[in-house]
Amino acid sequence: MTREWALAPASRERLPTHPEPSSLVDILERVLDKGIVVAGDIRVDLLDIELLTIRLRLLIASVDRAKEMGIDWWEHDPTLSSGARDLAAENRQLRERIGALEASRTAGPGSRAKRAEPAAKPPTRPRKPSQ
Amino acid sequence: MTTRAGAERMHDAAAPTPAAQEAIWLYAITHSRDQAGLAGLPGVGGGQIRTLQSGPLTAVVESLDPGKFSAEGLQGRLSDPAELGVIARCHHDVVVAVAAEGPTLPFRLATVYVTDDRVHSLLSLRKDEFCHKLDWLAGRTECGIKAWADPDFLFTERGTTEPAARGPGGRPAGGEPPGPAEQSGSAYLFRRRAELAARVERQRLAARCGQEIHTALERLAAAAHLHPTQDPRSDGEEGLMVLNAAYLVESALLSEFADAAQAVGAEAGALKVDVTGPWPAYSFADGPDA
Repeated sequence: MTREWALAPASRERLPTHPEPSSLVDILERVLDKGIVVAGDIRVDLLDIELLTIRLRLLIASVDRAKEMGIDWWEHDPTLSSGARDLAAENRQLRERIGALEASRTAGPGSRAKRAEPAAKPPTRPRKPSQ
Repeated sequence: MTTRAGAERMHDAAAPTPAAQEAIWLYAITHSRDQAGLAGLPGVGGGQIRTLQSGPLTAVVESLDPGKFSAEGLQGRLSDPAELGVIARCHHDVVVAVAAEGPTLPFRLATVYVTDDRVHSLLSLRKDEFCHKLDWLAGRTECGIKAWADPDFLFTERGTTEPAARGPGGRPAGGEPPGPAEQSGSAYLFRRRAELAARVERQRLAARCGQEIHTALERLAAAAHLHPTQDPRSDGEEGLMVLNAAYLVESALLSEFADAAQAVGAEAGALKVDVTGPWPAYSFADGPDA
């Protein structure tokens, strides 16, 4: 981005717009995570509440759609999941694939005939990782 | 979860352990003593919202039923998503009403003291700090900016030309079912590698889109704060959220800032830019020295 932006008062008169009701998510991320922090007399573990109600609930709801889009950054976020699990899944899929290939190879020349016929897909074909 | 009184590091010398415990919910600190806007607002505990003065500072508070708002009771209420939602909105509504009267420092949700005296001693012990922050916030307001992008669009329009991120034939990798000729092991591995590269590239482009918007807007603001991006579906938006940020802007230039955010977003290839607020300065309660 090369362009520099600058703010200048608009010539037209504009009343401060009545803001739409704030979304609860926007409110929660502010009141739970922001604001002055003083150690009050009664201690409540907000971190637990925040993790439970915001991060996990919303992320779990979003996993399917985000994965459809090929975005899975949280799988690399150590606080949300383990990268090892990701690797293990990848490993398992590759093993399944090798198993399927070996099975079709030992099935003999018939497997080659199948490949010429697109309708006959091997039943052992691994599921796509996004499903 | 503990109830602590008197052992408080900041002002333990000033306040002895109270014999009979109350529960005082803290909403915000401000200068203005005139808080007529609070009349009739429901507090988090259904009680009267009131003010406590100490020198130039006013704390907006509510006395709660100590039975219902013990440490355990409060933790339980806040752990229930429905109750948390109600309490968060009540707290927010009061803070908004206070902020309408002048610069305001909101307290984090569930800041509770056991007596008015403890609140007075907090105000007097940290008077200089709170006044410094309130001066810095004067005439400014928090503006929330969220931006969404379509990673596929960015990938097609602005993506790399690296062959690794493209499938056979130069088309973006991923998504397409393999043809019969691509079912050999090496073709499968090649395709998986291309899919992974394309995925990384989409992430990079989405992150860059958000970064471009933030970089431009940060220059227009007195301060900026990045929030974690939210779930793509939490508010029914299309696309992937690439930016969730708060900017402290001059109140008089708020609508110009909103216009600039739209323009910057369009230039960065964002699908949509959402402007929220004006907010009380939640994200800037740490002050100018944060």
